[in-house]
Amino acid sequence: MSVSLILIKRNIKLFFKDKGMFFTSLITPAILLVLYATFLGNLYRDNFTSALNGTVQLSEDLIDGLVGGQLISSILAVSCITVAFCSNFLMVQDKVNGTIKDLRISPAKPATLSLSYYIATLVSTLIICFTATVICLVYVGIVGWYMSVFDVLLLFLDVLLLVLFGTALSSLINFFLSTQGQISALGAILSAGYGFICGAYMPISSFGDGLQKVVAFLPGTYGTSLVRNHSMQGVFADMENQGVPGEVIESLRDSLDCNIYFFDNQVNVPTMYVILGVVTVVLIGAYILLNAFKKKI
Amino acid sequence: MKNIIQITHLSKSFGEVKAVQDLSFCVKEGELFAFLGINGAGKSTTINIMCGQLSKDSGSIQIDGQNLDSNMDLIKRKLGVVFQSSVLDSALSVYDNLESRAALYGIVGTAFKDRLSELANLLDFEELLKRPVGKLSGGQRRRIDIARALFHKPKILILDEPTTGLDPQTRKNIWNVISYLRQNENMTVFLTTHYMEEAAEADYVVIIDNGKISAEGTPLELKNTYTGDYITLYGANEQDVKKIGVEYERIRDAYRLSVSDTKTATGLIIKYPQLFDDYEITKGKMDDVFLAVTGKTLTGGTKK
Repeated sequence: MSVSLILIKRNIKLFFKDKGMFFTSLITPAILLVLYATFLGNLYRDNFTSALNGTVQLSEDLIDGLVGGQLISSILAVSCITVAFCSNFLMVQDKVNGTIKDLRISPAKPATLSLSYYIATLVSTLIICFTATVICLVYVGIVGWYMSVFDVLLLFLDVLLLVLFGTALSSLINFFLSTQGQISALGAILSAGYGFICGAYMPISSFGDGLQKVVAFLPGTYGTSLVRNHSMQGVFADMENQGVPGEVIESLRDSLDCNIYFFDNQVNVPTMYVILGVVTVVLIGAYILLNAFKKKI
Repeated sequence: MKNIIQITHLSKSFGEVKAVQDLSFCVKEGELFAFLGINGAGKSTTINIMCGQLSKDSGSIQIDGQNLDSNMDLIKRKLGVVFQSSVLDSALSVYDNLESRAALYGIVGTAFKDRLSELANLLDFEELLKRPVGKLSGGQRRRIDIARALFHKPKILILDEPTTGLDPQTRKNIWNVISYLRQNENMTVFLTTHYMEEAAEADYVVIIDNGKISAEGTPLELKNTYTGDYITLYGANEQDVKKIGVEYERIRDAYRLSVSDTKTATGLIIKYPQLFDDYEITKGKMDDVFLAVTGKTLTGGTKK
């Protein structure tokens, strides 16, 4: 096994053995589950029914499928980022407990160490998020399945892209952290804040105009929208078949963040992929440059 | 013996704080070198610069003929470091820890397993391989720290307070291993310690204070320069001891006389042979040297 592979193995093992880091990464998805179980699910169910204005009678299954789609898309959109950050906290913990000194006194290249953190985070996050995706699909299968095979494949692609983005972003931000306090602060901000700004707790469409414009500048927004599109596309297609007017469906897509607007211009799905992909590449590039030009004290 | 470490006019500041000031000294190949100073004296800064963890402001460092500025990667292969506190991964097993650290030096596969077996025999940790490092006792963890430092067969072993907090038996065992390595592999040992009895065993000692060298030499040279001798006189009465006319103190069953050197002690014995029936002459201790040089004492890591 090469040096990089052994280091990646070390980092992955440490993440899964550190119960604190592992469970912290699951706080936001857990909050979401509790929120949906207690009141958000019912709230959205009532909202959808009232949005249809009594014009069309939809089956309970379809409504459940829509609410289920919203729940799983929220959980997945949040998990891809929070799990990536928590997994990548290992990089900071190695600085906090002095382990990084032990790694750096060796002739291993700094790039090898940085890359091992990146790939380990990617692998750990993918393991958790793909598992979560499968569980979410099982859940949707129980409450009301409307997804095509293509939707499922695209959903996995969305998760992969969001994980790549989350890993790159966390690598860049964690690069500047060096204390336990900073880890705790970022962990708390992330757990509480990311679910909000990505529209997991409440849709971005329900934010004020100003905040919606700000959120449109965040690349994660487009990742969330991709996941929403592919987890709810089947439900909308079935609605259309049941004779729900196109404008009602569009209004539902707007309210559920399947349609995202950048200063009143609708951003289509291929553009969302391009935005997420380009930003991820830029973030990885910045992380590489930071490591390359890092100076000793 | 050639110089394996040569530090010339090394300086390093952190803002206004001058951590190391114009430090110059040499370490000979195969020797046990003790680097003493209170906390904050500049020891760790010097070690961190030697290991490439910190940059220096000025000066030069040559390690085994290689310049630190141009051949850091080569130098890193020659250094093994045991840090003050263990920096291994507590959650991982001893095996996993050593596997990941050995990989940093390109030691993988069969080469890893062979070296692991050698070190497990030497440091007696075969039965600990599957246990998480966080569950080991202080002494067991120290043995694993040393194994990690030795994995790539370094020419120089840097021990930063390796025995602090360990029980006497574990300290003895660790020193036995270090002695074995020095004898059999001609390994140079660069030691910082707060235990003066360990420093007394060194071939050469450098004492630093406020980032500058305060004294250096062999333990004997330092004792001769900075401390006197003691004559412990048994079976004498105080009136007779007073007659000798030197400073003395009463200890449990004897009197301890302080004299400037061994020659003076010999003179007194010749002058008062009737008093010196039962006696012993001892040199001052390294604690006395340290106190005389820095005005401070070192006790288990605390400045007094």
